[in-house]
Amino acid sequence: MRRSATLLWACLAVLAAILFALRIDAAWPGVVMADELDRVILFQTVLPRAAVAILAGAALGLSGLLLQRVLRNALAEPSTLGISAGAQLAMALATLFLPGLMAVSPQIVAFAGGALAVSLCLLLTWRRGLEPVSVVLAGMMVALTATSASAALILANGDYLFSLFIWGGGSLTQQSWQPALSILPVLAIGFVASLLLLRPLTILGLDDQTAKSLGLAVNAGRLAILALAVWLATTVVAEVGVIGFIGLAAPALAGLSGARTLGEKLFAAPLIGAILLWTTDGLVQLFADGGGERIPTGAATALLGGPLLLWLLPRLRMMEWPSLGRTASLGRRARRPLALALTIALGGFVIALLALVIGKGPDGWMVAHGTLLSDLAGWRWPRILVAASAGAMLAGAGVMVQRLTGNPLASPEVLGVGSGAGAGLAGLFAFNAAAGMPLQFVAASAGALGALLLILAVSARAKFGPERLLLGGIAVGAACGAIITAVIALGTMQSYTLLSWLTGSTAQTGGDHAVAALIAAIVLLCPAMLTVRWLDILQLGTPVAASLGVPLGRARLSVVVLAALMTAIASLYVGPLSFVGLIAPHLARLMGLTRSGHQLAGAVALGAGLLVLSDWLARTLIFPYQLPVGLLASLIGGPYLVYLLSRGVPSRA
Amino acid sequence: MTDATQAQDGVQTQGETLFDLKGVSFCVGGSEILAALDLQLTAGRMTGIIGPNGSGKSSLIKLLARQQVPSSGEIAFLGQPLSARSNRDLACRLAYMPQFTPSAEGMTVRELVELGRFPWRGALGRMDKTDAAKVAEAIRRTGLEAFADRLVDSLSGGERQRCWLAMMLAQDAKCLLLDEPTSALDLAHQADMLKLVSDLTREGTLSAVVVLHDINMAARYCDEIIAVKRGRVAARGTPAEIVTTETLAELYDLPMGVMPHPATGQPLGYVL
Repeated sequence: MRRSATLLWACLAVLAAILFALRIDAAWPGVVMADELDRVILFQTVLPRAAVAILAGAALGLSGLLLQRVLRNALAEPSTLGISAGAQLAMALATLFLPGLMAVSPQIVAFAGGALAVSLCLLLTWRRGLEPVSVVLAGMMVALTATSASAALILANGDYLFSLFIWGGGSLTQQSWQPALSILPVLAIGFVASLLLLRPLTILGLDDQTAKSLGLAVNAGRLAILALAVWLATTVVAEVGVIGFIGLAAPALAGLSGARTLGEKLFAAPLIGAILLWTTDGLVQLFADGGGERIPTGAATALLGGPLLLWLLPRLRMMEWPSLGRTASLGRRARRPLALALTIALGGFVIALLALVIGKGPDGWMVAHGTLLSDLAGWRWPRILVAASAGAMLAGAGVMVQRLTGNPLASPEVLGVGSGAGAGLAGLFAFNAAAGMPLQFVAASAGALGALLLILAVSARAKFGPERLLLGGIAVGAACGAIITAVIALGTMQSYTLLSWLTGSTAQTGGDHAVAALIAAIVLLCPAMLTVRWLDILQLGTPVAASLGVPLGRARLSVVVLAALMTAIASLYVGPLSFVGLIAPHLARLMGLTRSGHQLAGAVALGAGLLVLSDWLARTLIFPYQLPVGLLASLIGGPYLVYLLSRGVPSRA
Repeated sequence: MTDATQAQDGVQTQGETLFDLKGVSFCVGGSEILAALDLQLTAGRMTGIIGPNGSGKSSLIKLLARQQVPSSGEIAFLGQPLSARSNRDLACRLAYMPQFTPSAEGMTVRELVELGRFPWRGALGRMDKTDAAKVAEAIRRTGLEAFADRLVDSLSGGERQRCWLAMMLAQDAKCLLLDEPTSALDLAHQADMLKLVSDLTREGTLSAVVVLHDINMAARYCDEIIAVKRGRVAARGTPAEIVTTETLAELYDLPMGVMPHPATGQPLGYVL
């Protein structure tokens, strides 16, 4: 390790130790030593908390290192691969439906959830050769879905699960030594196993062919190490909740501090992870004295980690990735694309009409007509219009983002502006708990715009190049997610408003909102149609676009700003996640709409139809109750996406 | 159409200076790829750039195509600083094919070739008969008529490479820059591709600068060869002047022999 770096880490460790000493000092029992309560607090709360911070930090650092190595992906870590969120969802489900199992071993439940999430994420990107950016994109989607499903469970079950969400923010508050004692053996086993696996791990860092020709059973080795990493990460989730970014930052910082060989990193990464988490926790406790009592440490690490990731991005050397072979997928091409797009639009109108008249009443299904229709229509048309406008905008944004980045897994959700809107809402609630609808709208827009500006600032130097844009979006999204979690964890009435926004509900939409959404959709989609010639060329990559004279900066900037505005406005109505922006463009392609203009028109119509359909299902499926439409759309869209991707997605959108 | 009249002054005649490099250097992360290069390229001919791996030949052509900006020095293109032209204005005169052409998924050959008209019409301008004629002409000259409505990705490597060349021709630029256009092709398609470019330049209005790996292929088709080594021009001249035992040995640090081609008499280099 370089000397200056070592010194820096030593200083941080000393800082953490000082913060810890302050804690001990505050909790030290009185001179009389008779104050039993103080003794208990010291030995059962203060000391174990430090132990857990150190152990969990080390476990996450090690887990991140293993994941990055085995997937050859500098961005892999428990939270970017969806492992943490998957574990959290599994535990929420188990608490509700299998409380017996939770009582026996939350670790097993968490492991199952985490393993499932990472398998899903790898399955989604298998055909793309586990290419790093795609893996992280898939992980992001898995994580978002799991989080919004957890939010829906909490909403449906109220207070019973609410503590789960606070815990989900990664609170290190301790009542006993048990969590520390649970993490310790796993960390020890993981560390020893990694040392034993040092040689296979080193070889796995090379490409598959080389690894195979060196006589390594690549897939078996990879699976074993993955399982080890997931076990480490989910143990931490089971004991203290989701703590993001440590797994990402520790190995990266170990590398930047001069740990060159894998052996060195194996010692440095857990050490740095431990120091990072211990310091962060010390700072959180310091601020907690000043009133921020319930800010979970996990939220704090994500808040610090987002900027850290943005700073790291240009410095991370992406591991060599073999350029993907041309998987020539010669999809259908519609013979008369314009006619097809029109047909789809017509279908969308029919769906909207049906959604207007068909519903479920106390006596089962019914088709409304006459006065009943005119009564019901007043309730139904706003949400249909909102769903259609939001779906159209998300789909339009999806086509633009996928074409811009040349990545079929990119979607408006990962631009981070949706989460930015949520962070704006969260910020508003933190200062003004009684804010009304207009103020909420302004705050959400401001948050979305702020997130957008941040992403643009980060990617401006690379002329808004696709990779920087996606990664910047992920980082901003994660940081905004942390803010949302932190405010939800305050546990006030506004937490429920935020939770219900997170799951995406159109139930309370009024007529004026619906008209506003429609106007926004029209105003933004018209200029979007003017960018199609750019989109056709941009998907061919930077060199070709530049040599054809496309003004790269201006073209990308216009496309991103349009897409982001559409995403932001749509997410105000249907929440940050729906998959419509991802799926509608794919559907349009599968139907044979291959040129940008046709695909955009077709996807917009499909997106509108899809979300109207989801909205209709949301209000009829479990009548008289309602499901949140965003969640429903993602539950329908998610499996379809898995199916689509397992069949192999074209390498470019 | 102002673009069209602007382009008229760009039609160069044989012998005019195409590129004029003055003290051009290019550094990446502190290491110098190209060192203070002074170089003039002549219009109306096919110029080959050769050199060992890491010699800077690919960087050189990227600088010429303005895909990268020199760390210092000045490049003039047709008498004007390269940096002074707008993106589309440059694209009307200068066409560039990257070493790895991307997948043109879902596009037919004609649609890909039509993209070459973008510099002339921009994002919103109407495509008219001139454009259709240029596209048809480009497809004809590259012999792709039979494939015009096929998907680009369904074609073989050699045919795909010709599609990209057709796109450059539709661009109606007077100068073509090609970065190793033959690296993924078999021998027959390499010869086919280079003969096509060579024929186009022989017609007199086009100039081409081609980065090539194979010294004998370069010698067979290029009018002039520039040999680059460690970021400097090691030698330049006609194929006969470059393909000599001394120059090749110097260039590749490897004892090389030269013998006359049994049929054409051109010199052929081989490893001793």
